Amino acid sequence: MTPYQELTVYRSIPDLGPEIAERYPYESKFANVNGWRMHYIDEGPRHARPVLLLHGNPSWGYLWRDTLPPLLAAGYRVIVPDQIGFGLSEHPHTPSAHSLDNHAANLVALIDHLDLHNIFFVCHDWGGPTGLSALITRQARAAAVAVMSTWAWREPSSEFHRSILPWKTLHAPIVGPFIMGRQGAFPGRGMYLSVVNRERCLADGVSAYVSVQPDVGDRRLTWGWPRSIPIDQATDVAGERFDWLEAGVRALRIPSTVIWGREEVVFAADVFAERWHEIWPHAEGTHMVTGNHFLQEDSGAEIGEILVEFGQREAPPVEIQA
Amino acid sequence: MKVTPVSHRPGDTRRVPVLTEPEVGHYPEFATFLRVTFGLDSNPLEAPGLLEVDGRVYELVFIGRSGQTFPAAVEISALVPGLEPMDTDQTDRDLWAIMEWLIDGVGEPWSVEALQTTGRIYKILPEAPPDDH
Repeated sequence: MTPYQELTVYRSIPDLGPEIAERYPYESKFANVNGWRMHYIDEGPRHARPVLLLHGNPSWGYLWRDTLPPLLAAGYRVIVPDQIGFGLSEHPHTPSAHSLDNHAANLVALIDHLDLHNIFFVCHDWGGPTGLSALITRQARAAAVAVMSTWAWREPSSEFHRSILPWKTLHAPIVGPFIMGRQGAFPGRGMYLSVVNRERCLADGVSAYVSVQPDVGDRRLTWGWPRSIPIDQATDVAGERFDWLEAGVRALRIPSTVIWGREEVVFAADVFAERWHEIWPHAEGTHMVTGNHFLQEDSGAEIGEILVEFGQREAPPVEIQA
Repeated sequence: MKVTPVSHRPGDTRRVPVLTEPEVGHYPEFATFLRVTFGLDSNPLEAPGLLEVDGRVYELVFIGRSGQTFPAAVEISALVPGLEPMDTDQTDRDLWAIMEWLIDGVGEPWSVEALQTTGRIYKILPEAPPDDH
């Protein structure tokens, strides 16, 4: 690190204003992962079992704000990274920075950096393909896993993701950089439309998601991630990694639980939650909660209680030996 | 609003980058349409493409990337007179018109109707300027 880098001031949680800091009252920390600056919080006893809460597109750690308190009260160490490109982490503008491989490797780097062991992985949306790829890569360090509104395979794909209106149009060439980049449809309007209690989300959530992606270039990944979903051969950029990932999760036999939103429209529960149970016959659930795609916005605390109840049986928050 | 490819670059203008698409071939039919429209197969590194939108001109610079079909990317710039400030609301309306022209040119299964509906859903359909009368 040069003397000039030491003088650099990065935005942290208090810089987002008192309302956001009050709802997400944790200390900002930063780690260097593969040369990028990753923001994360790390709360709870240092030697307790780590729970890794992983968000997707276009959110950041704030999504888990209501899920954290039950886990911390139960005695867990809770680590919530902002994936590179989101939240208070660095937002690379270089397209090639945002491959599924690179984002998964960034989580592997964080796990190594913090020397985490016996991890309870909790994965939502792109936190699934990235987090589960990291889990498979550091499988000996995984103790349990929870999945919600996520996937780890090519097929079945989501009907929502196959549709021209609105999904493919949203991220079509030139259209995507305009609607989602220049106009900021994600995370603002996009998240507002993808919760059940929109008024609450408008009051407590939307500003926190919008404020961390203030400029056009910051939103690169909001239309980049949709292009990485392996829908068809002509546009496929991550299919091989998904093949590897599906094989990896199928072979995984650690305690697992499935949580889903009753009102989910992106990953229909009868297709995607059911697929998780086919892949993991031993998995608990499906625990259905009030929620659309961003189910934490409607049922964050309830999800926290479900994770605690499952965790206390299968991955208790006891002192961990590396 | 009418969008027309033109060949004459207006003088005394400066380039203001307004939109960058780094993966224009993500859906290959979009790159194909631009390649045909601007004759990129015969001379890919000729002068930039130009589009006129109701008298205002936009420049399309096509970019290649090793290992990818040309063009891999496109940068769109507004050609703004002299040192005058750019009217960003007008630019957004013009970019929307360019997107409608693009989608219409690419054709099925893409449709201008789907684009407009998407714009309404996400509340980003640029509004027409207020009527002076």
